[in-house]
Amino acid sequence: MNKLKLNVDTVKAIGIIIITFCMAVAGYLFWEHRNYKEPVVVSEYITEVKKLSDYSDVVKGTVNDCNVYIFDSGVEGGCYLIWGSTHPEEPAGVMAAELMVENLKVTQGKVIIIDRENNSASTNSRVGEAYPRFFTYQTDWGTKVWRFGDRHANQLDSWPDPEVYIHYPSGQTLANVDIRNTNRNWPGKANGLLTERTNYAVMQLIEQEGVDMTLDLHEAELEYTVENTIVVHEKGQSVAAMVSMMLTSETFDVPVGMEFSPTALHGLSHREVGDHSDAASYLVEVAEPMLDRIRGITDEQLLMSGKDRFVMMAGERGLLYAPIDENGWPIEKRVARHIAVATKIIEVNNTVNPDQTITIEGIPTYEEMMENGLGSYYHNPETAPADRVYYD
Amino acid sequence: MTMFQHSLAVIIVAILCFALAKKLKACTEIALLTTAIGALLTHLILPMGVDPRSPLPFTEIIRHLVEGTFNYFDVCMTFLTATFFMTLYKEAGGISYLVRQIVGRFYKKRVLCLLLLLVVMMVPGAVTGSGATTVLTVGGLVGAVLATMGVKEDRRVALVFMLAAMSAACPPINLWTMMAAAGANMPYVGFTAPLAILSIGGALFATFYLTRGTKSDSEVSEVLATLPEVPKGWNALRAFVPFVVMLVLILGARVIPAYWPVIGLPMIFMLSGAAVLICSPKKVNVLEVAVTTVKNLKELVGIMVVVGILNQILTLTGARGLISLGVVVLPIWLLFAALWIILPVSEGVLQYAVAPLLGVPLIMLFNMKGFNAIIALSAWSVMWPVGDCLPPTAVVGRAATMQLDYKGNYYKGFVKEALVPMLFVLALCTLAMIFNNQVGDLLGV
Repeated sequence: MNKLKLNVDTVKAIGIIIITFCMAVAGYLFWEHRNYKEPVVVSEYITEVKKLSDYSDVVKGTVNDCNVYIFDSGVEGGCYLIWGSTHPEEPAGVMAAELMVENLKVTQGKVIIIDRENNSASTNSRVGEAYPRFFTYQTDWGTKVWRFGDRHANQLDSWPDPEVYIHYPSGQTLANVDIRNTNRNWPGKANGLLTERTNYAVMQLIEQEGVDMTLDLHEAELEYTVENTIVVHEKGQSVAAMVSMMLTSETFDVPVGMEFSPTALHGLSHREVGDHSDAASYLVEVAEPMLDRIRGITDEQLLMSGKDRFVMMAGERGLLYAPIDENGWPIEKRVARHIAVATKIIEVNNTVNPDQTITIEGIPTYEEMMENGLGSYYHNPETAPADRVYYD
Repeated sequence: MTMFQHSLAVIIVAILCFALAKKLKACTEIALLTTAIGALLTHLILPMGVDPRSPLPFTEIIRHLVEGTFNYFDVCMTFLTATFFMTLYKEAGGISYLVRQIVGRFYKKRVLCLLLLLVVMMVPGAVTGSGATTVLTVGGLVGAVLATMGVKEDRRVALVFMLAAMSAACPPINLWTMMAAAGANMPYVGFTAPLAILSIGGALFATFYLTRGTKSDSEVSEVLATLPEVPKGWNALRAFVPFVVMLVLILGARVIPAYWPVIGLPMIFMLSGAAVLICSPKKVNVLEVAVTTVKNLKELVGIMVVVGILNQILTLTGARGLISLGVVVLPIWLLFAALWIILPVSEGVLQYAVAPLLGVPLIMLFNMKGFNAIIALSAWSVMWPVGDCLPPTAVVGRAATMQLDYKGNYYKGFVKEALVPMLFVLALCTLAMIFNNQVGDLLGV
């Protein structure tokens, strides 16, 4: 009996040691993910870097008080706000936004860029999805690292969720976790939870800076109907239609479509920003096989290469809304498409709304990015002047 | 070896590990953990197909295991706090008081009594989306009343389980629908009527089917004499205040969401528990109740934690994707014929995680085929909770046996009794799914 008791105690002791070890290791990795800062070497032509709290103090002191990169030419023209990382599990958004921040020169009008609109959601992983914590890209000077995150804000920053999320101000009912999804709670709420306050602050930015048009950068699973498309508010329909036609006929191998923002679906940027401000709101989607529930092995390779044999099998059976073959959807293509859409919107809008003219330089073309890769467009924070290095 | 063969091998090894662990008489939690580790080791050993793969360092393996444990963190918190609240209420004598009141007033009005019990069971699950919460809050109370009405033990547990499952499916909150709709970017709109019809229809059938042949032919005074005495001082006001507190805190967030603070279900149950302490005429040992609660829920919470690990590992290894792919590539006629089995069985394995896993691809498939996805998703979301009495998790089934102190055989007793109502619900939902467009036209969704 004593021997049995001793054995049970020994097993328990070993179990406690193993659990403590696992908790310590995982705890350190969680801490590292939450605290890693992404260096951004801003373009030499940047005019100002503000914080989101400069527009509304409802986010002051929070993790979502993100950097706001401002490129003001000083010449009268339009004002364009672009943001990435609404959903940090869609990396093309943050990579495209940052590539523009590091290279942009504005010669007329004003361009404002936010790399990480929901910073909190990039500080944790999506539980149950077996995501990597970081993703990397090989540049001319070394490896550049970004945080890979969730679709929803970190629960350490916003918890608990309600039993059901009731959108403000429409009263539409949504899944409870969507209260931490910044693309479900536009136009935001000054006294709401973190993500509602974040969107409220961005709406203040839009108003105070006199923004004429906004672009929200996203990626989507290939099983999803809203794929490789620009979703647009009524105010931007003519511009979006032209952008879609021109890029499809002249630039992209896979067409980019154009869809109207549904009037009955609330909380999304393409609907609410347009409804609650003077700006025309656009949202662009590109295919990301990592988001498909039918994907195979989950790792950084899949994220960056966009190659997945299971998703291909679904495609062979006609179950997808985007084509996929053994070449996948590489990150270069996804980022290049986002940047091409962002710049083409400026080009077309200049024609449709000449009083909102914006002229820019320094941004590579779609063809250049596809040929050269993205590495040469990100700069080395180690060798850059200290006053040009910021952290997201 | 292709990725398809790799992930298939992971699934086969996982099944073998679970079977072996059960054969060696391991508890469900250990068997599931063995399954997850077996799947992980297979993934690490076997080639992963022709495409290049990222390295998986040892520390990241540990991170995945620990991260998986948080999958159902909120659900576990709700289980613990809801049970704590109701155990406090029970220890204070509140349950005994309510049972005596219901029996005294409604024992002879049998149909009315059964309908009242149905409502009592449906409300907690309908507002929280959790069948386990229903069982843990009012399951014991309803079970006690059913016993006085002469309903046999097996059927009592079966009925409490079925009503709990249907309460979880009943609107306004159906977590399966919400999770799948969120994954497919559908607003949670238009689901109320189909969910209500299917879940309340199933609950009514279960109630009258499982109480058939029983009679309330004893004298009320005789029945009351068999019930436990109520501590002195209880009255209607004291008995209802804790539930009023709970309902006000839940409904306030619905009625005036712009002004109501978000405190979450665990805090709502803790505040309701505090109301019990204030209202109770009898002093209750809070620490003792807390310890009892944790002890009673150890297995249930343990299973949820380990299922979270298993889900994470199946995703990491591509096994989850292969299962999901395997379902959506089935011919549509076969899907109609097989979902009534696939959905409850998958719920038994993965719990709520099954909604985004199978629900999202199925919604997209049904959209592509021109079907009414609102009706189809509503039907699936009523079928899923039926699987909550199936292994390996059997969360609501276990909770029901625990709350009703069931001594019979789990499968040959209570599950066997529940089989006909379960099949009725599955048949009703399958019909709704097959005639989705017609039902949609009828309901205007």
